[in-house]
Amino acid sequence: MRVNPNITPDILNAIWTTQQQENTAMQQLSTGRRVNSPSDDPAAAAALVGNLTESDQTDQFIKNTSNVEGMLQTADSTLSSVVSVLNQAISLGVQGATGTMSLTDQQGIAQQIVGIQQQVMQLANTSYQGVYIFGGTASTQPPYVADASQPSGVAYNGNSGVNTVEIGTGRSIQTNIPGDQMFQGAGSDVMGSLQQLVTALQSGDNTAIGTATTQLRTAFNYVTQQRVFYGNAVDQLNSNSTYLQSEKVNLASQQNDLVGVDMAKAATDLSNSEITHQAALAAAARVAQNTLLDYLK
Amino acid sequence: MPGLTSTMLMSVQSLLADQAALQVTSNNISNANTAGYTREVPDITENTPTVEGGITYGGGVTLERVQSIRDTLLDLRISEENQQQSGAQAQVDSLNQIQQLFSDSSTGVGANMSAFFNSLSQLSTNPTSVPQRQAVITAAQNLASSFNQTSTQLSNIESSLNLNVSQNVNQVNSLTQQIAKLNVQVAQMEKLGQEPGTLLDQETQLVQQLSQLTDVNVIQTENGQTITTANGAALVVGGQNFALTAQADSTGTTHVFSQGTDITSSIQNGKLGGTLQVRDQDVPGVLNQLDTLASQFATAFNTAHEAGTDLNGNAGGAFFSAAAGAGAASSFSVVITDPNAVAASSDGSAGSNGNIANLSGVQTTELPSGASPTDSFSNIVFNVGNLTQQAQAESTAGTASLNQLQDQWGSISGVSIDEESTNLITYQRAFEAAARVISTVDELTQTVIGMGATS
Repeated sequence: MRVNPNITPDILNAIWTTQQQENTAMQQLSTGRRVNSPSDDPAAAAALVGNLTESDQTDQFIKNTSNVEGMLQTADSTLSSVVSVLNQAISLGVQGATGTMSLTDQQGIAQQIVGIQQQVMQLANTSYQGVYIFGGTASTQPPYVADASQPSGVAYNGNSGVNTVEIGTGRSIQTNIPGDQMFQGAGSDVMGSLQQLVTALQSGDNTAIGTATTQLRTAFNYVTQQRVFYGNAVDQLNSNSTYLQSEKVNLASQQNDLVGVDMAKAATDLSNSEITHQAALAAAARVAQNTLLDYLK
Repeated sequence: MPGLTSTMLMSVQSLLADQAALQVTSNNISNANTAGYTREVPDITENTPTVEGGITYGGGVTLERVQSIRDTLLDLRISEENQQQSGAQAQVDSLNQIQQLFSDSSTGVGANMSAFFNSLSQLSTNPTSVPQRQAVITAAQNLASSFNQTSTQLSNIESSLNLNVSQNVNQVNSLTQQIAKLNVQVAQMEKLGQEPGTLLDQETQLVQQLSQLTDVNVIQTENGQTITTANGAALVVGGQNFALTAQADSTGTTHVFSQGTDITSSIQNGKLGGTLQVRDQDVPGVLNQLDTLASQFATAFNTAHEAGTDLNGNAGGAFFSAAAGAGAASSFSVVITDPNAVAASSDGSAGSNGNIANLSGVQTTELPSGASPTDSFSNIVFNVGNLTQQAQAESTAGTASLNQLQDQWGSISGVSIDEESTNLITYQRAFEAAARVISTVDELTQTVIGMGATS
């Protein structure tokens, strides 16, 4: 049977094929990726788009979590200070209501309460990165200013808006409690009670002092309760952060499943293709030199 | 009765035949590596015998003709396979350029869209921060420029394909011109019963080159080959070639005409067919997906943005601008330049981030196309990858069967040095033997002459 005498194209094809295999294995090993072009695995390349988006998003959620956490912790420590000065105010109120107090002493206490009033107002005007955290969503200006015309002695320039921040896919967290809810809730008005206490102490009316102190205690309890919101939120952020970290690991491992290379397999492929490539070259060298002419004299 | 002279003459014929056969062998060896050369075989036959006195004497030998060994059907199969393989390979070459635009998942539309939504998410933690608002606008501009760039690059590929079409058409014309010339010569020789040999080899080789460029259909007629292409348009009839023309229409798209008829859409195979497939189907398909995404995304995002209020308390305006439908990706731009104009607020207060949830929602909400923006982009990546993969598979399969056919061709028509070496020895020995006969007859003749001489 006559066979194709021109084997050069076949030899070249064999060499190119094995070389291509070698290059592919090499590329996979050096990039660590099985899919280097969409055509390597169109479905995986398409899924990678979604995976990378999710993974970027998770990074962003982690950033959001730490940003929000900073703000919530500031609010929490601010409230802790509010609670401690209110405690002081309550003690002063109780002291001021004792019968042995002279009017002068009571007026002296009133001065102290005025100081506390100012401290509370300053605390309520705390800002975090330029955001007044108790101003509702009108957070670009200090929410409280002294205003003698108001019964509580202060005017609230904030609003009742709340913000929520997304900290996970479909998971959001409320990031603020507006000042009017925190310090001026119905029946638990911190600002109003303090102002009432000052008025009562200045006039030396023991009954009014008692009433104002009781009101202040109610407001104090309310603030303490509200503070729990921040504590819970910080806890929630901490556990969310843990979740996001594990989510990131999941996504990275999914990404590796999609486009990553099995190193052991790629290394084996590489050495296999090296061997076949060498074999093809060796065969070419042997076959190409033999003709009948070598044996004719 | 045969005499010494006739024996001598017979040996001369034999010498001539062997010499001719050696020349054929030499020609085969010379052309062993010539592309498309089919090996030639000397057709040596017996002469008519002479009958004298009831005895039949052989009449010696003649070289009847030199025959080229070829399989016309196989040539046609190779031509068909060339058309398909070259078509697929041309697609792979162009699609590889296209898939480069979608290969790096850390840049491009997908990555920039993701970065844009993340900048919004970041803004939600501090909606009044001007640097973060600026970051949103910068991310939006990056997204816009990646839409623009991808679209421009696709258009650039499209116009380079137009150039390919014109070049391929020129090559087709140059080939058909050469084929027509050979066609006449071959036909004339065949009519006269002569072996067209090398001329036919050259013609076949040119037809194979033509098959790599476009659809080719060969019909054997009395006046040589008639070659037609897509839509039955004639390329070569006898000694005449019909040139194709490439002409750009008003949009810059090059069309292929034969005798005034636009045959562009009928061309399926060869480089021309593959190039047209990518230019007229694949690139517009991808561009269309990109335009749809750009246009629907802009509309959806603007609707969400207009529902909010900006830092100054004004109602949100259009955020992006994009042409509706075709050209959306190339015209995609960011309208807003003032960071304060990002409408993050839902209640009119500067510090509200309520509208960001609506804006972010666009990322995961289905567009009218039926897929979310992220999914739409992954569909484009899938589409490009899939087209390339299919063309690659087709090209690889085509190469494999082309190799097999070439092997088969070689086993029939290829020159074997071993075979020629054997022939060389055979004819050499035959030549030597014939020469020996002549010298023997010479001696005999001298003997005969010597018989009359007196010493």
